[in-house]
Amino acid sequence: MNTRQIWQRFDFVLFAVVLLLCIFGVALISSAIAGNPTLEEHPQRQATFMIIGLVVLFLVAAFDYHIWTTLSKPFYIFVAALLLIVFIMGGERFGAARWLETGLVTIQPAELAKIAIILALASYFSVNIEKINNWVTIIRSLIITGGIVIWILLQPNLSTSIVIFVIWAAMLWISGLETKYILIMVGVAVLFLALSFAFDFPYLADYQKARITNFLQPDETARHGETYNVEQALISIGAGGWFGNGYGQGSQVQLRFLKIRHNDFIFSVLANEFGFVGTVIVVAALVFVIIRCFKVAQNAPDAYGALIAYGFGVLMGFQTIVNIGVNLRLLPVTGLTLPFISYGGSSLVSMLLGIGLVQNVHMRSQPRQRTTDSS
Amino acid sequence: MNNNNEYKKPTIKLARFRWMYLIIIVVFIYYAAQLFNYQIIDGETYVARAEDNRTTEISIPTQRGMIFDRNGVVLARNAAQYNVTVTPAELPDSAGDIRKIFDQLSVLIDIPVNQGEVNDETASAFTPCFTNLGIFQIVEIAESLWPFQPTRLKCDLTKETAMIIEEKKMDWPGIDIEVESIREYPTGDQTAEIIGFLGPIPEVLLDYYTDLGFVSGRDKVGYMGIENSMQDVLAGTNGKRVVEVTVGGEIVRDIEEPIEPIPGQDIHLTIDYRMQMAARAALIAQMDYWNDFYLRERDKILSTTGVVIGMNAKTGELLFMVSYPSYENNRMGQFIPGYYYEQLSIDEAKPLVNKAITSELPPGSVFKMVAALGVLNEDVVTPEQIVNCTPTITLRNQFYETDIGYSQTYFCHDDAGHGPVDYLHGIGYSCNIYWYKVGGGYPGEVEDGGLGIWNISEYGAALGYGQETGIELPGEADGLLPNPTWKRLNQGENWATGDTYLAVVGQGYVLATPVQVMNSFSTIVNGGKHMQLSMIGEVVDGYGNTVREFEPEVLWDITTDPLIHTYQGNNQTSEVKVIEPWVIELAKEGMQLVTSSEGTAKIEYEGDQNKIAGKTGTAEYCDDWANSQGLCIQGSWPSHAWFAGYAPYDDPEIVVVAFVYNGNEGSTVSGPIVRKVIDAYFEFKKIDAELEGLQTGN
Repeated sequence: MNTRQIWQRFDFVLFAVVLLLCIFGVALISSAIAGNPTLEEHPQRQATFMIIGLVVLFLVAAFDYHIWTTLSKPFYIFVAALLLIVFIMGGERFGAARWLETGLVTIQPAELAKIAIILALASYFSVNIEKINNWVTIIRSLIITGGIVIWILLQPNLSTSIVIFVIWAAMLWISGLETKYILIMVGVAVLFLALSFAFDFPYLADYQKARITNFLQPDETARHGETYNVEQALISIGAGGWFGNGYGQGSQVQLRFLKIRHNDFIFSVLANEFGFVGTVIVVAALVFVIIRCFKVAQNAPDAYGALIAYGFGVLMGFQTIVNIGVNLRLLPVTGLTLPFISYGGSSLVSMLLGIGLVQNVHMRSQPRQRTTDSS
Repeated sequence: MNNNNEYKKPTIKLARFRWMYLIIIVVFIYYAAQLFNYQIIDGETYVARAEDNRTTEISIPTQRGMIFDRNGVVLARNAAQYNVTVTPAELPDSAGDIRKIFDQLSVLIDIPVNQGEVNDETASAFTPCFTNLGIFQIVEIAESLWPFQPTRLKCDLTKETAMIIEEKKMDWPGIDIEVESIREYPTGDQTAEIIGFLGPIPEVLLDYYTDLGFVSGRDKVGYMGIENSMQDVLAGTNGKRVVEVTVGGEIVRDIEEPIEPIPGQDIHLTIDYRMQMAARAALIAQMDYWNDFYLRERDKILSTTGVVIGMNAKTGELLFMVSYPSYENNRMGQFIPGYYYEQLSIDEAKPLVNKAITSELPPGSVFKMVAALGVLNEDVVTPEQIVNCTPTITLRNQFYETDIGYSQTYFCHDDAGHGPVDYLHGIGYSCNIYWYKVGGGYPGEVEDGGLGIWNISEYGAALGYGQETGIELPGEADGLLPNPTWKRLNQGENWATGDTYLAVVGQGYVLATPVQVMNSFSTIVNGGKHMQLSMIGEVVDGYGNTVREFEPEVLWDITTDPLIHTYQGNNQTSEVKVIEPWVIELAKEGMQLVTSSEGTAKIEYEGDQNKIAGKTGTAEYCDDWANSQGLCIQGSWPSHAWFAGYAPYDDPEIVVVAFVYNGNEGSTVSGPIVRKVIDAYFEFKKIDAELEGLQTGN
């Protein structure tokens, strides 16, 4: 395949849907400002990050993803170093040090870490795919994961850590892990949770415990704080009805009853202003992207490409499920973003980078018909 | 790079992708169902909650009506009071900035930045405006209680200080000036017994007032006096705004057309403030005089309590009403101070009670005017008939007709007796023996049991005793006109002949309020027309329209309305009758005799120029107070001093009643008060006429 042929295999539908989601995200963030001066510059910044992310997407798509077999190690080290810096000198915000102030932009390395882990694990599993059912392989993959997760856990940022563990487990599983190993690992996990429960989760920060308690036993009368926020999110969603209050018209959003509305609760903004119909369309677009990633993985030319596309699909799927679940009060508050839509530069750029990788794998795979024909 | 051989065949478990699709599809279908549930099925609930979030009702306070006297003197008005408030949540973030604001504010409002300590005790005792805590301490308490609400730091600032803070408040986030409407009573304790005062909405009436649009904690309601009885007229109606608010409570816009408040109506009383002052001054001067005298002679004071009231006999307008002691209602202007209220409540002289309408007292000899109408109208005696007034008489006290009973001796207040007495002198001398004989009968002189208790109660009721006058004040008592039925029901005992003797002279079971006494005299001197006693002159609404004007109202006329029932024994018959006008004229003539050179008040009314007539009353009593003072000595009870006077006797226009608790003697203690007050009345009348002459002359 020459370059032209490769770019003909660029998935324009996927790209168009992602682009629309990003633009829609900027629009929703604009609405979510709701006259709050501290949020005033957010839409423009999000738009800027979108442009940066798109450039990254094309750059990543342009060069065969196999360069990442060599690049993923330095990338892994780079991200781990950033996390270490954040851990050592990160600024305290919302009870956790997660940002890296560079003077120009604030970077959240944990977002990049997700991609770094996908790349590192894809590389490791694709090489060791034949001896996946081996404790050494499993433990080594866990060490690769742990080398990054440890710093995220220490921030502390439990939800991103869980995302990464989920990616690890999902990639291990798709690589062909036998049921025996799965059962043993589930057993270990259950034992760990049981012990944690017995010792009152010594590794959780107070605010994390409070979140779980709030979720399990909400204080209905609270006028502020997490329960209030979730309650207001539900009101925002419910008040949307079939078609919503209209863009920039949602009373819950515009009068600021809904909190963290540009970020964790942007789904509620969507539901409040665009109603059931609008929300289902947007969620369908997200589901389309997730499924598309899995399709690309299934159709990938090799295990490495498949694991990259699959890993990213898992990341996106899990984040989407958790974020919407929080908004619908089905899960405790986590702080995970809604892919492409929530405000956050690091998150958006990482996501678009991921899409670039998926496109890359897609561009270098055979069209399905042809594969069927040749076989 | 474009070499396909570089790619190894994928060996990942493609079959496992089915699970991924299954998870994604199941989860998102579940989410869509949840979304449908919230947005469509329960949508209305959430729409309502969102509406509830964004809409707030704001009550726009109205202005309470003013109260004036008959000449336009302001008795109650509203004044602005400036308070400085702090909203803890709006203070700057930096502790240094807060400190800077508090330092400057401290100097302006004279409250230290730090003073006292915040603990459970000081926090629970914290009352805004009345605290010794420093600014930081107040803010600390306010922050823990209601961080988003303004809390008063200091109240009643001077206007200058308020202006300075108002200008600085842009630089001082969280600090604000609040303008509070408070009630002012320019005439204070001179009119407190009439005007009353305001207080917070009482807990038991919270629902009632909330339904009317009142706001608890902000709006006040009348607690006593006209402020209470005319609450509905004075209060007005609060306005209402339904607004859209942000989560921080900031108003975005009106959702509904605002409803403007309706101001309360102004009330012009029939009270003449000058007369109110004159009456109080006369009462206090007289009480001081006698208290000094008693202090000198007997080492104790005579009385602490008195009433002087006056009305226009022709119209029923109340002109003044002094209940002494009263209280300073301006001290209740902003809130009711506990220690002051406590002090007023435990005071034996009961300053909070308007004794002119609530005290039920033995009326004594002023009540003889009831029998005075009865005996002539019922033909018990003729005016000329002579009854012998001996120093004492012995009467038989019987509980039933065949009861042998026991003898009881009654005394004349004149140790020598008054000798032969006719009707007019019976009134003029206030000879008890005369009234015992004509009221209860005396074998040989007045046969058939005299006037009798049933007639006494009939004639008493015709003059308004035993019922409320209906004066527009809260808490009026109705007194007591006893009769045999009442006694059987309430005392479980038959009516005795001795009870009639006591009742006829206003003793025994008979009780009356000062306003009833005044009202009864007004009816007699007005030729039998019983006017509705009223103090509400004109009512003017907030836009200057007269809503109500004073109209004299004749409740009944005893000379034309057949109000007197007749009795056969204890049974009422169907026969009714009126009181003959000539009877009333003779009764008035008798009262002229009282203030003449022959009467009981001859000394006090010597040289009177204003044609004052009236009736003295020295009413023996024994109540809890007298008992506690050891005054209730058998046969020598203490007595209240009454005098009911009117003028001019040829065309009466003013009736005045003076009452001094434990005043000992009606003529000497209360008589002069009435004379002074009536003199003042005619003096003011002259001045008014001259002023009018001057005005019309222009």
